[in-house]
Amino acid sequence: MGASWLDPHRRNRSVSDVSPLEAEVAKLIVRTLTLKVDPAQIQPEEPLFGDGLGLDSIDALELSLAISQSYGHQIRSDDPDIVATFASLRSLCRSIEKHRTK
Amino acid sequence: MNRAALLGLYHADRVLAWENGYSITYGRFLSDVEALADLLPEKPTVINLTDDRYRFLVGFAAALVRGQTTLLPPSRAPGALAQVAREYSNSYCLVDGTEQVEPLPSYQIPKSTGGQNDTVKVPQIPIDHPAIVAFTSGSTGSPQPHFKTWGSLVAVARSTGARLGLMSSDQMTVVATVPHQHMYGLEASIMLPIQHGMAFHVGRPLFPEDVRVALADVPSPRMLITTPLHIRACVTTRSRLPPVECILSATAPLPRSLAKEAETLFQTRVYEVYGFTEAGSLATRRTVDENTWHVLDGITLHQESVGCSLHAPYLREPVLFPDLVSLQGPHRFVLHGRGTDLVNIGGHRGSLNDLSQKLNEIEGVQDGVFFLSDEKGTAVTRLIAFVVAPDTAAEHILSALRTVIDPVFLPRPLHLVPHLPRNETGKLTREALLGLLQNLHNEERHGT
Repeated sequence: MGASWLDPHRRNRSVSDVSPLEAEVAKLIVRTLTLKVDPAQIQPEEPLFGDGLGLDSIDALELSLAISQSYGHQIRSDDPDIVATFASLRSLCRSIEKHRTK
Repeated sequence: MNRAALLGLYHADRVLAWENGYSITYGRFLSDVEALADLLPEKPTVINLTDDRYRFLVGFAAALVRGQTTLLPPSRAPGALAQVAREYSNSYCLVDGTEQVEPLPSYQIPKSTGGQNDTVKVPQIPIDHPAIVAFTSGSTGSPQPHFKTWGSLVAVARSTGARLGLMSSDQMTVVATVPHQHMYGLEASIMLPIQHGMAFHVGRPLFPEDVRVALADVPSPRMLITTPLHIRACVTTRSRLPPVECILSATAPLPRSLAKEAETLFQTRVYEVYGFTEAGSLATRRTVDENTWHVLDGITLHQESVGCSLHAPYLREPVLFPDLVSLQGPHRFVLHGRGTDLVNIGGHRGSLNDLSQKLNEIEGVQDGVFFLSDEKGTAVTRLIAFVVAPDTAAEHILSALRTVIDPVFLPRPLHLVPHLPRNETGKLTREALLGLLQNLHNEERHGT
């Protein structure tokens, strides 16, 4: 299991370079899933699912809807890249960048 | 002893399952069941964790043939599995991957052998055999087991099929977004097909695009077994679903406006099924037409002093509704909402008292309570927790909770507070908790 978003030891680390899209999607995630975390604290390379807040398949579905509405990218689980897509904020943004229609 | 057939209709060459465009026939299924039944260990109970719907069914049927009972743990949370493993220690697990529930032995269900032995007969299962044990979270802690006889599963499947007109229709193929280890999933995506000679897709699509692909992978006529959440996802994204004969929804109330949109957009009929673990599926309605639920044939309702009860030939005793309902005669009712303790999040039913108790058992937690606010804003309702734990980080409490409760019940968010607004008698009223929540919101707005 990966480190959590809320791992206290990571909170104070300086946020590594975050692209404008990553900052935007981080906000989208926090807003969509009503998380109690500052979007700026989401480390782009850290796992979205797994320990800590424990995002689950309902979250994945909610998030996929928000992404489809904001960027026109329809996520599929049989996409060979699906595990990579949801692995981290950065990989999710890479996937959005590649498939977005708006 | 009275028996009922494993399959309601049997033609060896008829398709039972679709996997990536390949079909598995009913004949091959019976060969697979016979082969697996010979391999199963001599134990009374089995936890069938297989994700693949076909392999789950082979394991479930082989267990029935051997006179064994399939346990349906309340969730996949390690703590929930461990508790079932402790209480049913003479069990084993069936898996399709490498999952383990220590200390139980695990056996992998092999892929279908591909053989079809035409001499295999349809197994006849005693109707009073306890086919499954489903669990509900009691208000006092450990999950309550509910034994379901084979006869009751068959009766519910047949009366649901009769209501939906499956007896007379062409062979439908089911695509289901719900897990088959859940009562609704088992009834609608396993029992309904095998009792009506239907077929199913082995997968469990999640995203709208998955649902579209899964439906396109199977022949028409199609039936989608799903939830309001998935229906909303497909409607919101304007999915171009292939023709679907009917959509079945359960686990949460489906708003009529959403049902209407789905019927128009997908040119289909949307039905809701209502049920609860103690009774199984018990009523249906065509959401666009009616607010009233119509019970399945054979069921009658009675008004008792403590609430409404349900009687059915396959239930040993009458069962009380966990929800607030008002009767319109013995066969129809209107649903008014959940009782105050029971919550339903994403199709998982839980008790707030039970969740709060588990929260209070965590080291470092001095006082704590789970709470469901009425706030709308997000599509999925999530629980809130208020916790008094001066020396413990919220992260620690969350990870401890993760091991003992279903992840859907994890609080969003968990508020650490100095104390809970208990009244003189130690009670926490809903108003006091709403007030506390309002105060926290105000503080956030003022940036304190």
